[in-house]
Amino acid sequence: MAWDFIKSLLVFLIIIFAFVLLLLLPREMDITHHGGLVFTADFPFTFDLYKEKIAAFVEHFRMEKGFGNNSMGVPILEEVQKLLLRDFTIIVPALLLSMGAGTLLGIVQFYFRDKIIGKVQAFFSWIFSSIPDFFLFIALQYLLIKLFYIGVPKFSLYGNDHWYNFLIPMIAITVFPMVHMVKFTSAALENEMGQDYLRTARSKGLTTLNILKHMIWNCLYSILNQTQFVMLYLLTSLPIMQKLASFQGAGYHLLTSIQEFDEPRALAFMLPYLLMMFATIVLSKLLKYKLLPQKAGALQ
Amino acid sequence: MTVLNFCKKNLVLTIGSIMLCFLLFMTFFGEYLPFIDGELQEIDYLWDENKIPVAPPYEPSAQFPLGTDRDGRDMLSLIVMGAKETLLIILSITLIRYLLAIPLAYFAHRQWLGANALLNGLNGFLSYVPTIIVVILLVTIPPLIMSAFRPYFVVLIIAAMEIGRVADMIKLEFHQISKKEFVTSGNSLGVSPFRLFKKYYLPFIYSKLLISIVGDLGKVMFLLGQLGFLGVFVAQVFVQVDAGVFTFENTSNSWPTFLSNAFKDIRGPVWIVFYPALAMTYVIFTFNMLGHGLQKIFR
Repeated sequence: MAWDFIKSLLVFLIIIFAFVLLLLLPREMDITHHGGLVFTADFPFTFDLYKEKIAAFVEHFRMEKGFGNNSMGVPILEEVQKLLLRDFTIIVPALLLSMGAGTLLGIVQFYFRDKIIGKVQAFFSWIFSSIPDFFLFIALQYLLIKLFYIGVPKFSLYGNDHWYNFLIPMIAITVFPMVHMVKFTSAALENEMGQDYLRTARSKGLTTLNILKHMIWNCLYSILNQTQFVMLYLLTSLPIMQKLASFQGAGYHLLTSIQEFDEPRALAFMLPYLLMMFATIVLSKLLKYKLLPQKAGALQ
Repeated sequence: MTVLNFCKKNLVLTIGSIMLCFLLFMTFFGEYLPFIDGELQEIDYLWDENKIPVAPPYEPSAQFPLGTDRDGRDMLSLIVMGAKETLLIILSITLIRYLLAIPLAYFAHRQWLGANALLNGLNGFLSYVPTIIVVILLVTIPPLIMSAFRPYFVVLIIAAMEIGRVADMIKLEFHQISKKEFVTSGNSLGVSPFRLFKKYYLPFIYSKLLISIVGDLGKVMFLLGQLGFLGVFVAQVFVQVDAGVFTFENTSNSWPTFLSNAFKDIRGPVWIVFYPALAMTYVIFTFNMLGHGLQKIFR
């Protein structure tokens, strides 16, 4: 386990290093004024420039003894902390809903798979897995605006001034990973069908619910494996959703700082995201190690 | 009757095929339909009932079923005219992805030239860092921006994003096939690795490849949509808009470009973003249905 952890940590450090190298590739525009109204733009790209940029980046950290201040004079770390808290109001419920409610709904769908409820649920989870989150968000906005016209009480749709502002982006972002978990769980449970231990359990007279408990325990390994996928999906969609909703969170500022070539700030916003991925990976490994009987993976 | 029976048995595939036919019809023949304005005429202003000139964008109405954009061009016509390019882009991204992923998977399976390590590294990196951020960082690299072949590079970069995932999937298939007896017999006969790949491995994954390529078309459409919100498109030109101010302008009618102003449009003329996003959803839906239907046939 300890070795596993060290290996994950090493991978994490290498990925940060690779990301910084990618981030620092020279990409700024160089505009030359030739007198009068004649301007030319150029994108210089040489290895020397790259080295210079890396040196300047390192120098920045040495001089500022940290990330330093942003263009408004606020320490970047303070800014990141504040914005990250806003991000958490979306990420935490979204992750819990997708992993918890998604898995539960998947079990329900599997349990009722031959009944009409299960079929209807399977149909809807299939439909929702084909709707991109940005369309869901735009459609929700369109619908709400139309509803406001016919007299539904108005509430704020954009920004982050009200406590409930996180709800619409959160819903739009949660639907896909949740439906993914529903489909994944029910498929994993269906794969268990026909295993010998189920026949043994049934011949011993166990109830269907009790047998289901055994099956879930056996599927938990592959279900927990999906946490990384769900988290990556959430972190990918979050900046876009924040941009659409004018929800000023860390993701929104990550995008703008990358587009404004503010590398230290971009790294400051990216690091928590990478850390979240790392934490997800380590935690799901830990859970697998603690919760599951050893060699449980042998069945998969 | 057999055809009808087949359709009844594979309802999802049938509906998916009908949706695909409609999509292809609109793509290739849509511009000749009477209600489509193939010229994409711009309107500067229209008179309202009080004889006051009103500037675009116009709401959806009888004249413009889906409204107009900020230049007064009919949205429905824009979407129909942009379909060809959009579909071409997603098709080429997906095909390039698979053309590169299949050899990579075989190399990784045989453990040649460190392909396996490359594959693991690629997968490791991309399962940590969100795809769109990597794409943004890569497409803004200067030699690419200024290149005349920029669109091809962008297609290649987007295709490369999921090569790892696809190659990993194919590698697992290869691993499974390599345990079969006929592969062992091929090996003992001294069949060359290339022939082994072509005649022993590939024929067994054709059906699986087809299913996953069709499914990937939808995924690529989704990714392009996300990139559209961030202003990253396949076709762009570099222009000077003011003294000393340079910017990128998109030169195409492909659907993701309508999303670039979503941030502003969503608060006013929401139809400008809603209908292109709806069209993308239709495409994703169609390909997901087809993939699902094909899966049922080949199972």
